[in-house]
Amino acid sequence: MAPTTTPPARALPARESSLFKEVLHNYEDRQLKKGLKAAETILKKFPNHGETMCMKGLILTHMGRRDEGFDLVKQGVRHDLTSHICWHVFGLVQKGQKNYDEALKSYTQALRFDKENMNILRDAAHLQTQLRHYDQLVETRHTLLRLRPQLRQNWIALAVAYHLHGNLTESKNILAQFERIVKNVPDYDIELSEVLLYHVRVLEDLGEYKEALALLDTHAKSRMIIDRVAIMEFRARLSSKLKSEDAQQAWQGLIEQNADSYDYYRGYLSNRGIDLDALTDETRVQALQTLRHFAEQFSRAAAPQRLALAVAAGDEFKELLEPYLRTRLAKGIPSLFTDLKALYRDPSKRDIIESVTHALLDSLAHAPDAPCPSSIDPTMYVWTLYFLAQHHSHLGRHDKALALLDTAIAHTPTLPELYLFHGRVLKRAGDPYGAARWVDQARLLDLQDRFLNARCGKYRLRAGLVEEAVEVFGLFTKKDAPSPSQDLEDMQSLLYLIEEADAHRRNGNYAMALKRYLAVQKVFDDFEDDQFDFHGYSVRKFTVNIYLNLLKWEDTLRSHPAYVHAAIEASRILVRLHDDPSIANKASSQSHLSEAEKKAKKKAKKAEKKVQEEAKKASANGSNEDKGLEAGPPKDDDPDGAKLLQAPEPLERAAKLLKPLSTLAKDNVQAWAAIYDVAVRRKKYLQALQALQRAHTLDPASPDLHTRLVDFAQRWKALNDKIAENATTVVSSSLAKFIPEDVPPERFNSQYLQAHSTRGDAILGAAKASQLLGAPREEVEAAVFGVLNPDVALQLETAIAVDAFLAEIQSPRVDEFRAAAKAKFPLSTVFAPHAELPALRKSAIGLAVAEVNAEKEEFIS
Amino acid sequence: MVSLRVARAEDLQGMQACNLQNLPENYTMRYYLFYLLSYPQVSYVAEDEGKIVGYILARMADEVLDGEEPHGHVVSISVLRAYRRLGLARKLMVLAQQAMVSVYRASYVTLHVRKSNRAAFKLYQDALAFRVVETEKSYYADGEDAYVMRRSFKEPSE
Repeated sequence: MAPTTTPPARALPARESSLFKEVLHNYEDRQLKKGLKAAETILKKFPNHGETMCMKGLILTHMGRRDEGFDLVKQGVRHDLTSHICWHVFGLVQKGQKNYDEALKSYTQALRFDKENMNILRDAAHLQTQLRHYDQLVETRHTLLRLRPQLRQNWIALAVAYHLHGNLTESKNILAQFERIVKNVPDYDIELSEVLLYHVRVLEDLGEYKEALALLDTHAKSRMIIDRVAIMEFRARLSSKLKSEDAQQAWQGLIEQNADSYDYYRGYLSNRGIDLDALTDETRVQALQTLRHFAEQFSRAAAPQRLALAVAAGDEFKELLEPYLRTRLAKGIPSLFTDLKALYRDPSKRDIIESVTHALLDSLAHAPDAPCPSSIDPTMYVWTLYFLAQHHSHLGRHDKALALLDTAIAHTPTLPELYLFHGRVLKRAGDPYGAARWVDQARLLDLQDRFLNARCGKYRLRAGLVEEAVEVFGLFTKKDAPSPSQDLEDMQSLLYLIEEADAHRRNGNYAMALKRYLAVQKVFDDFEDDQFDFHGYSVRKFTVNIYLNLLKWEDTLRSHPAYVHAAIEASRILVRLHDDPSIANKASSQSHLSEAEKKAKKKAKKAEKKVQEEAKKASANGSNEDKGLEAGPPKDDDPDGAKLLQAPEPLERAAKLLKPLSTLAKDNVQAWAAIYDVAVRRKKYLQALQALQRAHTLDPASPDLHTRLVDFAQRWKALNDKIAENATTVVSSSLAKFIPEDVPPERFNSQYLQAHSTRGDAILGAAKASQLLGAPREEVEAAVFGVLNPDVALQLETAIAVDAFLAEIQSPRVDEFRAAAKAKFPLSTVFAPHAELPALRKSAIGLAVAEVNAEKEEFIS
Repeated sequence: MVSLRVARAEDLQGMQACNLQNLPENYTMRYYLFYLLSYPQVSYVAEDEGKIVGYILARMADEVLDGEEPHGHVVSISVLRAYRRLGLARKLMVLAQQAMVSVYRASYVTLHVRKSNRAAFKLYQDALAFRVVETEKSYYADGEDAYVMRRSFKEPSE
């Protein structure tokens, strides 16, 4: 309701007043041209009429003239600070820009001047939910309910608001009240069914299991709740919690409905006091008995049999394993090894699997040159070889795996899985080029299969062959997209973005790497924005349980490994940039676009021109086309990432990227290391030290932690020498807990080295610390070469990291190290001399189809 | 250990990744959210130790005209190559269909399949009792035709 006395600047004479009403109507109907004209007529006589300025700005935004429109809206607001219309429009436009914080402020202002405007209240509620201001949300929803109690969704929305705010009891009360007064519900009403299921869930969350079960049963009987699976799941859970006799039947019913759900078996057994994660001798017997019974009853389901393998031990395990293996090897199931891999945590089971499978192989083996004897199942033979190859590679025996694969390929040269895995083994052994070549051969065996195509692309990226990878991906991306990369980015392919970013990073192309990592960040920003429409939609549809599930997912969205990885790696690049700003200039001078990228740039330019021409035409005609409140995706004006690298304040950008990780990746040592690196350079010493403390709690022996402790000690010492004593006691005393004050950092470092002298990564860490402490390069090199000692368990990753480190310190001993590493990892190619790289890269692209066919014919004849 | 269950919000990223690896018809997260939040009971996933290895993304037809019976539609179904031959696609389809019938009283379900996709066609026709009802020309982005197939729930087996 507008205030009774209108401020003088807002009031319009009769003619303009009715014109203004026209503007509002035109906008509602999206008659943009008309609305614009009417608004301009008013402004001719009243150029400072805030509300008209705002409406004109809003219309311009809808017409695509967004910058102009936004400026006008801002002006309009300034001219009428107490108009709810102005603030509402301002909020609408800010919401369209995804600036939810500011939009909510505008809406809140609007509500000051029109407390009971339903539209504004509803939009405010959505924004409050998006921003997780649940206390405000409860108030807003209360107001909406008070104003329109006959609207069902207002009840549900309030119950949900209470729930989100943590007040389950109030939520329950609202739902109970609602159910008492709701009338005229048609039969089989899915919406009411969902509301009731939500009510049951609230009762369960409150721990009121009896009430929950009673409500469930009443309404299930009366067919008010119609989701059978949900009913059964609630019933099983609630009966179990109440230790009711009906529970067993409930779980049984669930298994009958879906015999492939592990949760159901778990629930069934748990209900009988059997905890699958903590079996006793007694419960083990009971569990096996139950599972055998289920396996008989549900022969098509793999779950009971597979669970039995997890539960059984010793001879009984062997007895169950053999038929399980045989059937699946005979059928040729590619995922068999992946399926059994979890059992390897138990070394005795691992050994039994190995002996049983090898015995099986022996019974199937035959002379390689002769055709397969009729007594032997060729499918079983090949898949047994495949399984054992996976087994041995998993245990680090890559040579053995390759030998098995070669036998299999000779026997069955057309099975892509064999080539795929051959590539995988080479990857593990440090030969990314050979790996890419083999995976390409797999791809060539079935050009219709996108999975093989995706793998091939991925392996090319792992080998650093970015252009070639994009070329392969392009066989399956949309033809009308500007480029394969753009399509994969538009379709939010995190796999592609991360792998390509990593490839660029390894190639030293920090600009493109950063660009792709930030594209990952953008995808997650979009995921976060996506929930917005559902704040209204789900309430209207009454699908509350899934809506709450959505919010929960959104709350921990950035805990996803892709985000964590992208944030950490991007922050590392930005830290590098801070330490050495010349990297940015190098990037732009080196920028050379690949053929594919040049083509894409041309295509994009053409498309852009077309759009501009159409826009000109449109604005010449003054079209009514409603472009909406949200701008489309911006065009890519930084194709080689150079601008991103040159953008200011890299540390601040890095800090922003890393912020979610302190809660969502709090068990990740690398995350804390990255947070430290940024904090210490921003001179936030307490935050930096806290990051190290968190890392220490997780992994006190971590080399990444160790080098940073030394780094911190160095920085702190340099700082302390300049500033006064007492200002720094907290930090000093905390640091002293790691490095006692009387222990010089050099000694701290050698103590660490001594304590972890058989760990390759620790040796590298100590050497890095040495370098930080100013040790001469020869000394650092000698230290790092310690990873080659026979009693050190050297991992391939560590050897690669040592190689990179030696390059960074510009050591003349790089080639020496690489030769030694190659000797340690004979199958590897990553340590090949630089001169061999071009040939290796060329070899990574597989044989042409014709050549593959020629080879096939050799075997068939 | 592959487990089959109703899809949840946290599965959507995995479903999207699975879809991008297997099929050329892809969707942004908005679409996945829209289908899941509109018809939460009818989409299922196959999960192996936290990884989504197969899924069925389904919905009910929203515009049901007078006289038309409620019916479902399979938007997308796919299983990672490494997890084939386990019957996952068939099982996912059956679970989705059961939900369509029990929650929405669907009379039938439809789907599109590429004319050239013999393996999928065989699955739908032989294992799942689908029948071709029409051809949609140039349904797919690359211009290929689609068979529209339908599976009725009225009789026990058609």
